[in-house]
Amino acid sequence: MKLEKDQEQMLAGKEGRGVQKAMEIMVGIGEAQGAEDLVKINYAHLMPPDVMFMPYGKQGQWAHEMTRELTQDIEKFKVPCTIEPKFCDLSIAKDLLFPDEVIQEMAEIQEKAADFYEKLGVVPTYTAMPFYYYRGWLGEHVSISESIATLWFNTMFGGRCERDDGVKSLAAAICGYVPNEGIHLDENRHGEVIIRLSESLDFKNFSDGDWDAFSLAASRKCRDKRPVFLGIPANTPITDMKHLLAVIAVESGLALMHIVGITPEAPTLESALMGRKPLDEFVIDQNDIDEAYSLANTATGSEVDFILMGCPHLTMREFREIAEVLDGKKVHKNITFIMTTQRTMLEQAEDLGYIQTIRNAGGIVVPDMCIAFAGTQARGTIATNSIKAVFFYAGFSSDGSRKVRFGSTIECAQTAISGKWEGRK
Amino acid sequence: MAVYKGKSIGNFGIVEGEALVTTDLVAFWAGTNWETGEIVEVGHEARGKNVAGKILVFPKGKGGAGDTFGYYYLAKSGKAPCAMICNDGLGQTVAGALLAKTPMIYGFDKNVVDVIDTGDIVSVNTENGEIEVKKGNA
Repeated sequence: MKLEKDQEQMLAGKEGRGVQKAMEIMVGIGEAQGAEDLVKINYAHLMPPDVMFMPYGKQGQWAHEMTRELTQDIEKFKVPCTIEPKFCDLSIAKDLLFPDEVIQEMAEIQEKAADFYEKLGVVPTYTAMPFYYYRGWLGEHVSISESIATLWFNTMFGGRCERDDGVKSLAAAICGYVPNEGIHLDENRHGEVIIRLSESLDFKNFSDGDWDAFSLAASRKCRDKRPVFLGIPANTPITDMKHLLAVIAVESGLALMHIVGITPEAPTLESALMGRKPLDEFVIDQNDIDEAYSLANTATGSEVDFILMGCPHLTMREFREIAEVLDGKKVHKNITFIMTTQRTMLEQAEDLGYIQTIRNAGGIVVPDMCIAFAGTQARGTIATNSIKAVFFYAGFSSDGSRKVRFGSTIECAQTAISGKWEGRK
Repeated sequence: MAVYKGKSIGNFGIVEGEALVTTDLVAFWAGTNWETGEIVEVGHEARGKNVAGKILVFPKGKGGAGDTFGYYYLAKSGKAPCAMICNDGLGQTVAGALLAKTPMIYGFDKNVVDVIDTGDIVSVNTENGEIEVKKGNA
């Protein structure tokens, strides 16, 4: 691999052991992927395991040791950085059935790690939707470890990043470079298969739940081929876009898709395909949508124990919808209703009165946490407005100790009041 | 005895061990139990086999953003393979092996899964990227 002078110096240890180790990882990965050189990045979104991946017990201790080894003698990261959600909010960990000793360990590992990254200059976003804070632009290279954020950056902004893992993005933030390979390169960015909606259906009538179901159906068709979506209206709201991108990102493993008329590189179908012929074309119809709903509903009966929302973090429209349903009512006594979002969104939703309305009804709202991971101790039936979360809670399987109900944001909020599942069965 | 040459991710000396070969892609986060070393992924060709101390031979890694952590935790538990041999080096697998200092060689002109069998004794030289395979039943 061809290295510039500053990169060679980092590799030789001129900037200390931490930078050297980061450069060794970049060169190792780059050579394995056949990259000819490294490319400078403008920004990184981090997924440190001592903040996000079960920061307790043995694995929490190892996560701490690993990240300290990687960040040894680092004073500041080389690029602006944002960070993934924390694993769990300590004040509600008991509501989510974490035992006391685990909560104590989380307080030790997760909270100290969060302080540590903030000292290194990481902006405390604690969200999988850092694009509210950092918007990219066409052709900008970055490093992101979070599936929806990677897909959003490539698809909505025309920026360039691979599906970097937690170690690679940390190393990228330390040395400021990533291997110039995969979809960092023009020749790997073309759309491969076409996806459209059946003429008997209309995106304008979709609930946010329907967008999740459509996304699951689409990802089961396109699998690992970059899809080109036709017919999605240019004025589709950001909340619906979140639902669309979140599910396909985790289900397909894709880093880039094209939405004709929205993706900067895809004003037309021809530009999305970049002069190539599509490998296949799929039409999503009512049967596909119904099948997606039934896959995502692993529970039977109408009992619900938990309603968990905020995977990815709730938007202002979702808070407004929940507040409208809960206004003046009480959450059913059998239900624990927990919501999460990023701290700036929470502050603004508080200013608008939505959060007070929700709390008055008995709903719990906390910032900064990953409800998909935090919910994995819960037992019984969990209702959610996110198929991404369904995947984490039950893996589409009805065998485990958790069953899942999936529906729209409004259906989940209605369930909180009635105590019985109000969505599709 | 057959010799094959690939590309080594770093110089971690020479190791020898018994091969565990799988034709499926291997995930270290959720696909492998990091406390026991057992491949646990449902439907995996090598489900129930244990990678600890073996020369793990597989086509390529797979997995999500946590895969590198998974490999590191496996190594911390003392259940990592003693070396990895792959056709393609996935970024996450390479990063995990570098962190744990596990010898890893990839990029051969033969399909490693075809030329090595489970039980073969494999010597892995990370200085020159060569592996020597002694058939286990010989």
